[in-house]
Amino acid sequence: MPISWGNNRGIALRRPAWSVVAVCFVMSVSLQSFAREPAGYPRSYEKIVEAAQKQGHLSIYSTTDAREVSGLLRDFRSLYPRISVEYSDLNSTELYSRFIAEVAAHEGTADLLWSLAMDLQIKLVNDGYAQAYASPEKPNLPEWAIWKNEAYGTTAEPIAFVYNKRLMPPGDVPHTHADLERLLRTNPAYVGKIATYNPESSGTGFLWITQDLQVTRDTWALIRAMGRAKLQLYASTGAMLERLVSGEHLFAYNMIGSYALERQARDPSIGVLLPTDYTMVASRIALIPAEARNPDAAKLFLDYLLSKRGQTQLSAKHMTSVRADVPAPPGSRPNAERTRAIRVGPELLANLDQIKRLRFLKDWRRAMNPD
Amino acid sequence: MNRSTRIAIILAAAIAIAAPVLLVVWQSFLDGPFFARNVHFSLGAFQFIFEDPKFYSALGNSLLLAVGMTIVAVPIGAMLAFLLVRTDIPGGRFLEPLILAPMFISSIVLAFGFVVALGPVGLLSLEVKRFLGFVPWNLYSRTSLVVLAGLVHVPHVFLYATSALRSLGSDVEEAARSMGAGPMRVALTVSLPMISPSLLYAALLVFFLGFELFGLPLILADPQGVSVLATYVYSLTNVLGVPSYQLMAVVVLLIMAITLPLVFLQRALLRNANRYISIKGKAAGQKPLGIGAWRWPAVALISAWLIVTVIIPVSALILRSFLSSWGEGVTLTEAFTLRNFRELAEYPNVVRGVFNTLILAFFGGAASVAVYTMLNLATHRWNSRWATLLDYLVLLPRALPGIVAGLAVFWIFLFVPFLQPFRQTLFAMWIAYTLVWMAYGMRVVSASLLQISPDLEEAGRVVGATAGRVSIDLTVPLIRAGLIGSWLLLFVTFVREYSTGVYLLSPGTEVIGSLLVSLWATGGVDLVVALSTLNIAFVGAGLLLIAMFGKRLQHG
Repeated sequence: MPISWGNNRGIALRRPAWSVVAVCFVMSVSLQSFAREPAGYPRSYEKIVEAAQKQGHLSIYSTTDAREVSGLLRDFRSLYPRISVEYSDLNSTELYSRFIAEVAAHEGTADLLWSLAMDLQIKLVNDGYAQAYASPEKPNLPEWAIWKNEAYGTTAEPIAFVYNKRLMPPGDVPHTHADLERLLRTNPAYVGKIATYNPESSGTGFLWITQDLQVTRDTWALIRAMGRAKLQLYASTGAMLERLVSGEHLFAYNMIGSYALERQARDPSIGVLLPTDYTMVASRIALIPAEARNPDAAKLFLDYLLSKRGQTQLSAKHMTSVRADVPAPPGSRPNAERTRAIRVGPELLANLDQIKRLRFLKDWRRAMNPD
Repeated sequence: MNRSTRIAIILAAAIAIAAPVLLVVWQSFLDGPFFARNVHFSLGAFQFIFEDPKFYSALGNSLLLAVGMTIVAVPIGAMLAFLLVRTDIPGGRFLEPLILAPMFISSIVLAFGFVVALGPVGLLSLEVKRFLGFVPWNLYSRTSLVVLAGLVHVPHVFLYATSALRSLGSDVEEAARSMGAGPMRVALTVSLPMISPSLLYAALLVFFLGFELFGLPLILADPQGVSVLATYVYSLTNVLGVPSYQLMAVVVLLIMAITLPLVFLQRALLRNANRYISIKGKAAGQKPLGIGAWRWPAVALISAWLIVTVIIPVSALILRSFLSSWGEGVTLTEAFTLRNFRELAEYPNVVRGVFNTLILAFFGGAASVAVYTMLNLATHRWNSRWATLLDYLVLLPRALPGIVAGLAVFWIFLFVPFLQPFRQTLFAMWIAYTLVWMAYGMRVVSASLLQISPDLEEAGRVVGATAGRVSIDLTVPLIRAGLIGSWLLLFVTFVREYSTGVYLLSPGTEVIGSLLVSLWATGGVDLVVALSTLNIAFVGAGLLLIAMFGKRLQHG
């Protein structure tokens, strides 16, 4: 569900001047020329800022809950008070469906797409829906997070083990994938007590489990063990977390770390653990559509999102920064050599190959229910 | 209303209903999104569905669910209606709106309430476990799903049965009583058979609702891998990686293929049902039947149903909204918190969402009643093929599961040029809601229309008024009370609706339902429960209004 920040342009232009002035001081920009580039950006950036302010408006479609980004949007608005931001949060399927239909109808669409469904975002880039933009923040990003100057990974969020601290004996808590497989194979107390995303109905769930398989074929043994332990499958994080908190489940596999950590901040009975053999890291991918009506405003937002300042805002909401120079909240960044970042690139397209996809699901179902 | 006006109104309705449905039909025969370049005619989607074993298991489960819940809901709903409308049962006036309550709570939220109360570690289950040492029920079994779905749909039957019973004179019942029949016998052999067309219609509607049931099976059955058609459609959006509209369209087509013959069957059964019509319109002399000692078992029956279907899940939900955690090993007093509500207040678009919801439900509900009334008047006392056509059409939107209806309406607004300017407005949401709830709303309005004796209208014609004038000056004023009642019902319905509008939402037009769904997906259950509690408070206020004005309204 969407929110908007000063979606009325008239109001946006009449914002009190003091915030403009304050921002100018903070950024040590001369008072005469408001449209100056941020420190460290090329001189020519001024032109983008000017054009963006002339556009005066920015529409974002995102899978990140509006609640999680209210601070980020407020901060962006304080930097560029002349740009009003319209933020719509949708689930990844809605985002994709809405975007491709709007482009086909030439009815105007978002200026920036920002989604955790990495494969769908890459497909949009591959299908020519995105425009290229070389962000001045590029040097600060890891090499895996950029594809063709069109897709930018904006976060590096661990895919975590999440468990019920209140009820799961500390000795049982697995620290590696092999530990987990052993626990499920040997301890009947966990039958019906573990949960994960359903790869058949959750696109991201499919992505995580197939990425596991790319790291190691041992994942099949884990899948079989989970099948025997009557794994419970969910399409949404809310239902899964809730039943984990209540004690109906004790352990959730491959949960998106940021959601679990946010929940942990208010309910200490949740334990979040990054597996020590390897931890997958996923990223919210941002892209600027070729059809964007306010492309320069989108560029400003993308650069802000990737800047140290924007990344600090994300990190405050447990969306771990993709930048090494932004500290991560405790327990949200895996050890560098154990990190398996899901590469922002064409490799993800293989994930959408229909025949491979159906074959995997068939194998997966068979491994889950051998008889 | 003259013939050409009638036909014009029916045609307009037909276009509005058929457009999204035809779009879905067309989509099912393509190999990609209908708006994409390079799409071709293909039967591939049909082949995929027919070869998918999951489709058959979902179909089987849906059939079981639809039949099972009809069997549960119809007798209970009819019985409750008889007790509340025709007998002197104590407290009837306040029980009636309570019985309607489950209709107005989002089914996902209600299902979640059941989990919090009756799940393996539910608040109530843990208490029972403390006494017995084990939990004597399994909320996640198929039986529980069917029974709960049936209980939750009792109000639908109740609604139709009460409106029919109200227009039934009590002379026949008194005749039966004077011949020595007990109240139970009166109900089973006189009152309920007299309203069998309404019961049949209600059964059909519940059966349809069973086919598109989403919230309960998603929460209670899906995690175990048990899917029904609506959750199957939902999983089809992802099975091929990119949303596969053609696959969803095929399933919707199959659902329609199953439901249309049922409408036909219903009409065939009622073709020579003129004998029922004679009982309508004579609102004379209704006296409640004294049921003596039967009163207390009757009250017990109603209370039992109310406790299981309304009080347990709703109070669990409200309780949950004041907790930071729950379940095994949690002391409730320690987990008590107001934080969920405080955070809700900080949530940027909650205020607007609440505001939009109220606008849509209040004004939109009234406008929808106007539409339904016009449609009803267009077919009122008119034996014509056109009226038959409308009869079939209004049920069609009910065959579209919410997510598909939402998508289809979105496409229409996006690709039909003169509708585009409205796409991101509450107006588009209202159109979508009005379409999807047409079958229900039409029926609610027609129930009050049928209560007017044709003599009155004929009298109007005799003194020289045109048909239109009779409608405006006579029929509509006479059913004013009924219309206000329908408006309240639609108000509460619109407050809980969300899935239809999911693609039409944009900054500025969000509604509570959509906020719930979005929070649910990203794990913000704390806010979901707080928001639901707020939502229930609104619905509760609406129901209270019905209770306060209801009696007066019914007697106009």
